[in-house]
Amino acid sequence: MFSENIVETDVLVIGGGMAGLFAAIKAKGQGVDVTLVDKSYVSKSGSSIGPHSYAVCHPGWGHNLKEWVDYISRAGEYLNNREWTEIVFKESYARYQDLVSWGVEFLKDENGELRRTKPAYLGPTEALVIERGDGKNYLHTPRKTVHILTVIRKKAVESGVKIVDRTMVTDLLKQKGRVVGAIAFSIDNGDLHIFKAKATVMSSGCAGFKPFGWPISELTGDGMAMAYRANAELLGCEFIDTHNTWAENPAYGFPAIMRASPGRLLNAEGEELKLYPGRLRSYSLNVEFEAHAGRLPLIWEVDADSKVAGLKDRRLPVVGGSVGGMAVHTAEGIWPINTKCGTTLPGLYAAGDSCGTRQVCAVYSGVGFAFAGASVTGTRAGLSAAEYASQTEKPTIDEKDLARLKKVTLEPFERKGGFSPKWVIQVLQNILFPYYILYIKHGDRLKATLTLVEFLKDHLVPKLIAKDLHELRLAHETKNMVLNAEMRLRSSLFRTESRGCHYREDYPRRDDPNWLAWVKLKEEKGKMKLWKEPIPNEWWPDLSKPYEERYPVRFPGE
Amino acid sequence: MTIERIDNELCNGCGICVNSCPTDVIRMDKENKKAIIKYPDDCMLCLICVVDCPTKAITVTPEKTSPLMVSWG
Repeated sequence: MFSENIVETDVLVIGGGMAGLFAAIKAKGQGVDVTLVDKSYVSKSGSSIGPHSYAVCHPGWGHNLKEWVDYISRAGEYLNNREWTEIVFKESYARYQDLVSWGVEFLKDENGELRRTKPAYLGPTEALVIERGDGKNYLHTPRKTVHILTVIRKKAVESGVKIVDRTMVTDLLKQKGRVVGAIAFSIDNGDLHIFKAKATVMSSGCAGFKPFGWPISELTGDGMAMAYRANAELLGCEFIDTHNTWAENPAYGFPAIMRASPGRLLNAEGEELKLYPGRLRSYSLNVEFEAHAGRLPLIWEVDADSKVAGLKDRRLPVVGGSVGGMAVHTAEGIWPINTKCGTTLPGLYAAGDSCGTRQVCAVYSGVGFAFAGASVTGTRAGLSAAEYASQTEKPTIDEKDLARLKKVTLEPFERKGGFSPKWVIQVLQNILFPYYILYIKHGDRLKATLTLVEFLKDHLVPKLIAKDLHELRLAHETKNMVLNAEMRLRSSLFRTESRGCHYREDYPRRDDPNWLAWVKLKEEKGKMKLWKEPIPNEWWPDLSKPYEERYPVRFPGE
Repeated sequence: MTIERIDNELCNGCGICVNSCPTDVIRMDKENKKAIIKYPDDCMLCLICVVDCPTKAITVTPEKTSPLMVSWG
């Protein structure tokens, strides 16, 4: 155990979901050496395991780019980065063509036409369908869509990308301010991998806290935490996604029922919950507001003509909080300094949900946007990393720093006593998951929670123990989740207004133009420093219009 | 309870499920050369193992419970 393996490569890609696979294939296409590493098995990884659609904006299909981008700005309450929104939509057709050329299939109707999903509440946008649950068995609809990642993995292998599976990266290596690779360990045999890379792409997804109601336990904010420790600038940690699930089996309720069966959502008093324009029925904060008002349980009333086989009762109890603090796709991430996915650290590029493009931002307002975004930023980051690598000398490694990081990687293994990752995760979840912490926010509660999370960071995390390699992975995930929790809480405290899915009871209105700004953060002298990055004036809403016109959705208490 | 059973009779020892699991729940039993449920607490009900298993040996049920927080660590 713990033999050392030095891997030299031109481009290192960390995380093998949609973005990482695109980055690796595109970089390889430029003739450089590419190594792709994942803590699980590339293609069964991250949030790419369960996509159901892929958004393509294509003039040839009658789409109007400006209409799409304007819709996103309205729905995202003007915090989206319009430049990135446009880039993703513009390039989505080319990436769709890549996917088709690699053998990915999209669903077609009986006439051979591509099937598109276009719910009325998503404005002008629509998405191609990868594969839907067929509704045959509403309890067990396996996520068959994962097969598309298998197709892309095959393409990566054929292209000559070197894949290192089941190997968890714990930290980035730096030399004189430049990122020069990463350190990792194998969860199978404990081998340490020292990756020496001319350029590194981070594509390891956003942060979550191993929620019970959604299969995203892998998203532990590792990339965010590694980038933070390497002193990169990050952003957007106050925007937290909401999903509902079925109360009877909260850990496995959503996939078939609410996706495959049209219906309406009622509160305990029998009132139908309003579906806000531009907000998916399950992604807005309405369930959280109902919870706070004491109007749970909610009922999902499936339409009478809906054909869901095996459904005995059309009135299904619904609960919120199934994603427990997961980020909104690309609202949070590493701050991209340009449209080539560069970051504030030379040698480090970011893609997919690791890259804070703010393609939608304050609220997730589409279907298939994140998947399209991951393919676009993956491509851009891969090409940029290859270009940087081909112009750069082979890096040297700071041996002192490497020795320190080796110790950090292995120390949970060497401690005799302390706290198991399982227990610390449970403590963290119990602190964060109630609706009144990260959804219905208040300065007093955020500060109190921050005190507890800081205690976890300062007292429990330094004493994490691991009995085996599985637990060593969990220990590092735990450390990263606690750091991400601090980012969430501090960013939420910092934004003293409400907007999108960030709701502050103590500041229940949008505050234009004070908060037409993004919240950035970085490590400075051992502390988390936060500041505002203003949004360009030309992207602001028309401030001469009344507030109610700029923002048709009301928050409670404003 | 999440991942419930891997049928020993049906399992052909191919090891596909070990790679299928994003959260490292399944490992191979080195002696019997069969897949075993090693870390059931980390099952997140994604069902990829069920989809990928060529002999349909894996049973996953939709209940998930959290252990009691009685030990301090």
